[in-house]
Amino acid sequence: MTTDTRVVGRSLPRMDAPGKVTGAAVYAADFALPGMLHGAVLRSREPHARLVRIDAGRAARLPGVRAVITAADVAAVRYGGSVKDEEVFARERIRFAGQPLAAVAATSLDAAAAALAAIEVTVEPLPPVLDVAAALAPGAPLVHEDWADYAALPILHRDGNVCNRARIVVGDVERGFEESERVFTHRFTTRSVHQGYTEPRAAVAHWDGAGQVSVWSNTQLPFEIQATLSEILQMPPSRVRVIVPGVGGGFGGKLRIGVEHFAALLARATGRAVKVMTTCEEELTAAYARQPAIVELKTGVTLQGRILAREGRLWFDTGAFAGSGPGVASVATLMLAGPYRIPNLLLEGYAVYTHKTNFGSFRAPSGPQANFAVESQMDIIADALDLDPLELRLRNIVREGEEGPTGQVLTAVGLEECLRRAAAAIGWAERRPAPGRGKGIACGWWTTTGGSSGVYVKINPDGTVALNTGAAEIGTAALTGAAQVLAEDLGVELADVNVVSADTLSTPYDFGAQGSRTAFAVGNACRAAVVDLKAQVLALAARHLGVEPRALQVGRGAVIGPAGERVTLAELARLSQASGGGLIAHGTFVAPPTPYDAKRVEGHVYPAFHSPSFHAHAVDLSVDADTGEVTVHRYVVAQDVGFAMNPAYIEGQIEGGVAQGLGQALSEEIVYEGGRVLNANLTDYKMPTAVDVPRVESILVQHPSLVGPFGAKGVGEPPSIEPPAAVANAVASATGVRITDLPITAEKIALARQERTG
Amino acid sequence: MARLAVSLTVNGAAHEVLVEPHRTLLEVLRGDLGLTGTKENCLDAECGVCTVLLDGVAVNACILLAVRCRERAIVTIEGLAADGALHPLQRAFIDQGAVQCGYCIPGMILAAKACLDEQGDPTEREIREALAGNLCRCTGYQKIAEAVASVAGAARAGG
Amino acid sequence: MSFDYHEPTSLREAVALGGRFGAEGRFLAGGTDLLVQVRRGQLAPRHVVSLHRVAGLDTLEIDGAITLGALVTHRRLERVPALRGPLQALVEGAEVVGGRQIRNVATVGGNIVNASPAADVVPVLIALDAEVTCLGPAGERSMPLEAFASAPGVTARRAEELLTRARCPRLEPRSATAFLKAGRRRAMEIALVCVAVRLTLDAGLERCLDARIAMGAVGPTVLRARAAERGLQGLAVTGEGLRAAGRTAAGECRPITDVRASAGYRRLLVATLVERALATAVARARAAA
Repeated sequence: MTTDTRVVGRSLPRMDAPGKVTGAAVYAADFALPGMLHGAVLRSREPHARLVRIDAGRAARLPGVRAVITAADVAAVRYGGSVKDEEVFARERIRFAGQPLAAVAATSLDAAAAALAAIEVTVEPLPPVLDVAAALAPGAPLVHEDWADYAALPILHRDGNVCNRARIVVGDVERGFEESERVFTHRFTTRSVHQGYTEPRAAVAHWDGAGQVSVWSNTQLPFEIQATLSEILQMPPSRVRVIVPGVGGGFGGKLRIGVEHFAALLARATGRAVKVMTTCEEELTAAYARQPAIVELKTGVTLQGRILAREGRLWFDTGAFAGSGPGVASVATLMLAGPYRIPNLLLEGYAVYTHKTNFGSFRAPSGPQANFAVESQMDIIADALDLDPLELRLRNIVREGEEGPTGQVLTAVGLEECLRRAAAAIGWAERRPAPGRGKGIACGWWTTTGGSSGVYVKINPDGTVALNTGAAEIGTAALTGAAQVLAEDLGVELADVNVVSADTLSTPYDFGAQGSRTAFAVGNACRAAVVDLKAQVLALAARHLGVEPRALQVGRGAVIGPAGERVTLAELARLSQASGGGLIAHGTFVAPPTPYDAKRVEGHVYPAFHSPSFHAHAVDLSVDADTGEVTVHRYVVAQDVGFAMNPAYIEGQIEGGVAQGLGQALSEEIVYEGGRVLNANLTDYKMPTAVDVPRVESILVQHPSLVGPFGAKGVGEPPSIEPPAAVANAVASATGVRITDLPITAEKIALARQERTG
Repeated sequence: MARLAVSLTVNGAAHEVLVEPHRTLLEVLRGDLGLTGTKENCLDAECGVCTVLLDGVAVNACILLAVRCRERAIVTIEGLAADGALHPLQRAFIDQGAVQCGYCIPGMILAAKACLDEQGDPTEREIREALAGNLCRCTGYQKIAEAVASVAGAARAGG
Repeated sequence: MSFDYHEPTSLREAVALGGRFGAEGRFLAGGTDLLVQVRRGQLAPRHVVSLHRVAGLDTLEIDGAITLGALVTHRRLERVPALRGPLQALVEGAEVVGGRQIRNVATVGGNIVNASPAADVVPVLIALDAEVTCLGPAGERSMPLEAFASAPGVTARRAEELLTRARCPRLEPRSATAFLKAGRRRAMEIALVCVAVRLTLDAGLERCLDARIAMGAVGPTVLRARAAERGLQGLAVTGEGLRAAGRTAAGECRPITDVRASAGYRRLLVATLVERALATAVARARAAA
């Protein structure tokens, strides 16, 4: 592994920073077009009802109102990810409080709000299925009575209110439990949490008069939105253009269609540009928040702490539509195994319909929920066996070359180093430094999602380089990282690179800013493009300098010959423009599939982790003896990043991910009662402020991946995985109280202690 | 609804706008004046992305009536750089890696400026307290606090 | 949510407008409560009367007695140097209201009139035996702050009146205050529970002569823990005595269970916070003596 790189591997400032610190950067929420109308959405107040009648006549006649649309104005299309069960507006059946019923476009938001209030809706409420238990009870109402008729991925195991059951089977768990000397069974529960991006979802749509629509949106997946809009509008994708001006945070909440379809439909109905933005209330009631989960975990061990068998089930409340549920249920099974060597496994992930918003993908989907269960139980086991929790983990973690739960061979396994360094940094030798104070650790693994990325790379006649990518920059600085890779390979500086991104018409296809894949995949696509580009450069330089291409070197913005001959890239670009149309290359990358044992999985949409990362978190905290309030003194993360493309921004991902993870661990939950959200505002949805988040110490461990650019692995999602378990373990260490339900509020701790002391 | 003529001084420049009384300063800045550097989100004074300086102190523009801001000096993020040179806080946010998605940053920088203008040499604790009304979901606040501290430190050192 | 807007430039003009509009009008101080409620559709005034040009409403005097004009902002209050020591609870209550952006604008008077049971500065003022003054067309009248609010959002202020000031009498010698607040996070919080105490010690600084304990967010209004206060009179201010006062206060509060906390946890918090606030007040009184 080389460390003498020039650009990549350095903490260079991100390329889009100046626009962001001056207010010049335009986000989708800022985007506007001349004559633009404002759109708003009418949403159901009932979690489950028959929609009897919807009458927009009065609303349409109000001043300033230019269009009102309902299901009657939209093709009867069902769309969706792995199950096509979604519709733009409720047609006959309402399935969650917050489901869109109608949309209006008006000359002002005030006029749009008045129109919403004037739409007459008649419903017949029906008994709602409020949670997983209710959904699975015998005789439970079906959230989708026609579920069997829906188009869906054939691999899914669907049955009534279960829209997927993913399963991993290895060995024989019953025999494993028989051979175990101790068997532990525990149940854990988690609530829904919201991504909390500070920029609402927003889209502006405009039809061009020739039947083509352009949509400016803060989506993380422009090509997916293009495809979904194509289905909804019943047009070929080529007539739908999606452009991402700028994204104010995504974290998975801006993957799927949000308001783009409302904007496009209203723009078509009015013949004008229309902008739609979500309100804070809509975000907390009708967005893609994290699935609430129930985990049941049964683990058999020897008295020395060697894990022999695990049976685990995770039920996700996936809400009214399948959405990401089936995939998340699949990933969950890999997370339930943990980064451990377990010879006998029966792991199941269920995605279950209820009458709530269709929850979605939030930073490491399934990760925090499964890891909370697995890592909490590890500490419970350690405690019961009188073993150091660190030692218990070291005895069971997977090692280089060993198998993952689905049989994939694990390489670049930096987990032991992560555990040891995190433990050393937190001072693990003194786990209970004072009364009411304790330390906890948690470890895990995660994937670098595959999917393909394409780039165009062009050298400009002034020597700058244009990187044209289909990926959106959502804040992680992934495109700066990719540009660093490009600059490194091409022998230019980062300041010489300009990025054009995320326009389905003019940028190459990209699978999207999801799954920690962007810097990895776009970086590799750049490497491929530079190979081609260098060949063009050398061929042209060879002709120009009269030297064999073999004898030429590319570096420092120029091509240099053996006798000091020199021509700059700028000059070559000018020459090429005049004679051959320019120096431009296309590069693509798709991660090679990770081999696994297909016999071990069923209903599985995500059977292996690609270029997996490994991580360990350690926390030192105190718990107030009376109030139960938690004060975090120190938080350490050791993350195997493969190769640190830009250490400062990787630290930024760790610091931010831990903050989100601590929010899920300690204070955040979307509270439901009777299928309605009680705290749909930022007063009572409690994200951590600057005085709530501790300093995070980041240790970047580097076990280079075989596939990533310079050995990099995906880094964005993992930091949000381990905080709930690390905190739970530290709280247990500090107080003797084990909380198995997230969030671990001061109230739960205080009342649990009160109960214990009587 | 009758509109009122309001003269607003934003970043040193006078603007004449006609607004209904219930319009907020945020709506007028972004809509009427096209200054979209000040952001919108919760509209409930809970998140701070709409922070501007009003006579030098940090306020949430989303709950300020525009009509109340006559004869007050309003500073938005667009008014911070002087003659093309970035303000030290803007420079520090870039250099310290404190910017990720960037949506909270205009409000954050202005809240930080108000803090430094008031306090000169705040501790990290005081910096974080000054920024408690600005939610950030990307950074965990760490590099933001470090960036502000670096400017305070430079000022202390006479830089 | 539109309304007619008025900007009186004198108290007399403001009072006249109040008289003219009555219940159809609302006075606007900082707006951090009023405008949020208007946006949420909880309030729809026909007339909004902004007070920011009215002179004389933002006086802040500490000359033994404490006078807070209605338009004194929380940020101004929290930065008064003279309020360290025995009167520190006024700072402690003011500095936990929202974030700085809110405190730069939100006023003490507006907070009192808003009458949230979870208000932070109100319990401190009640512990200091504050009186509030309202001014209307019929003249001026004052009453104890403790009797001002009767339910969440409901006060004795008549629709045509504006609150002009709160006034606390001089603190007795060997007295001190303290304020504590519990929340699910450390800033931008509406209290799960908050308590403000004022203790007066005897000449030997060993016994309590008089006490006030005001509790927020555990009843429809801020509550006084009168039995706990009586129990403290003449009591040695030892750990056990203060703990007992906390327990008694916990029995006097009337918390509900809501999305923020359960009633049981709120009682637990009252017991703990009262005890701790009393201990802090004892230390402050002794330090000042």
